[in-house]
Amino acid sequence: MRAEAPVAQPDVSELDLVKRCQNGDSGAYDELVVRYRTRVFGMIYNMVHNEQDAWDLAQDSFVKAWKSIPRFRGKSSFYTWLYRIVMNVTIDWLRKKQVKAGGTEFDDNVQLREIDPASRTVPRAEALPHQRMERREVRSRIDEAIAQLSPEHRAVILMKEIEDMQYHEIAEALGCSIGTVMSRLFYARKKLQNLLKDVYESV
Amino acid sequence: MKAFEEKWTAWIDDQLTGRELEEFLASLPDRATAEAEKQSAKKLGSFLREQAVALSNADFFSHQLRERLDRESAPARSARDAVQTGWWTIRRLLWGGITSLAVFALCTVMVLREKTPPSQSQYLTEILTYRVDPTVSPNATISMFQKKDDHVTVLWVEGLQSLPAEYASK
Repeated sequence: MRAEAPVAQPDVSELDLVKRCQNGDSGAYDELVVRYRTRVFGMIYNMVHNEQDAWDLAQDSFVKAWKSIPRFRGKSSFYTWLYRIVMNVTIDWLRKKQVKAGGTEFDDNVQLREIDPASRTVPRAEALPHQRMERREVRSRIDEAIAQLSPEHRAVILMKEIEDMQYHEIAEALGCSIGTVMSRLFYARKKLQNLLKDVYESV
Repeated sequence: MKAFEEKWTAWIDDQLTGRELEEFLASLPDRATAEAEKQSAKKLGSFLREQAVALSNADFFSHQLRERLDRESAPARSARDAVQTGWWTIRRLLWGGITSLAVFALCTVMVLREKTPPSQSQYLTEILTYRVDPTVSPNATISMFQKKDDHVTVLWVEGLQSLPAEYASK
């Protein structure tokens, strides 16, 4: 998953690539895409749980980034800036989907009284005969659990746990405060722990 | 002042230090349970990382993206070119129009100047032309001019060979 994503901090070559992109060098943009395509796709996939949708949204995000790159001023790292675009595109899509469905897919109103900070879920081991099937099952459980989070909660948990981004980077990417990021992380973790504990404790 | 959720999150991520950490730990009703919860949260993180989905056909993704960028850039470029071409046409039209108007205005001024009749000449107005008796002065003419503003009347006599005696006496 992370083979193509060694860049965690902006370096000179990345800034050079960005500058070349700003001068219309599409070859430089190809290099940036290669660096981030897997991470972007993975992030979006975990948000939308559909490979084709994730593919399309990743393409949309990269197209939007290419169109917006002349306005990138380098105040944040490129990948934080890119993730902001990715998150905007994905969260907008999820919201529209939710409106179209006419239902409430997510439950944002998780209260402290519903999740005890010290709550524990008893592990429930499930042994499936076939390994492949087991992986599919695990993946399905993860998708179902993440699907129960709001887009904003999905975004913070994925950026923190999978992308290993810092609070301030997540805040920048989502356009919110660090406190909000930490609060969302709290609820997202608690919810996923309750929903997935039996899975990750048994794997 | 951080909310409990923020402190808990910071503690899970080992971001809580010093006095803040001590105060937080002291506030926990059951430290052992909280520690177990912290380990569980860390396991969740590792689990999610392990299960992360990889992009298959990564090169095809880039290829498709490149095609899409080219496709979307092409209409924008041609639209920009069209606008520029249109702009040049408009500029040419504009300059042509201005030049035509200038030429027209110049011609109009010149023609009007040519045709404008001398309004109320400041010179005398000829009101009478008279010929003298040809036997006395065959080429003589008498003209009378009048300038109304100054209330002046001029009698212009030309070609008179001799002044009749009765004129001189007057």
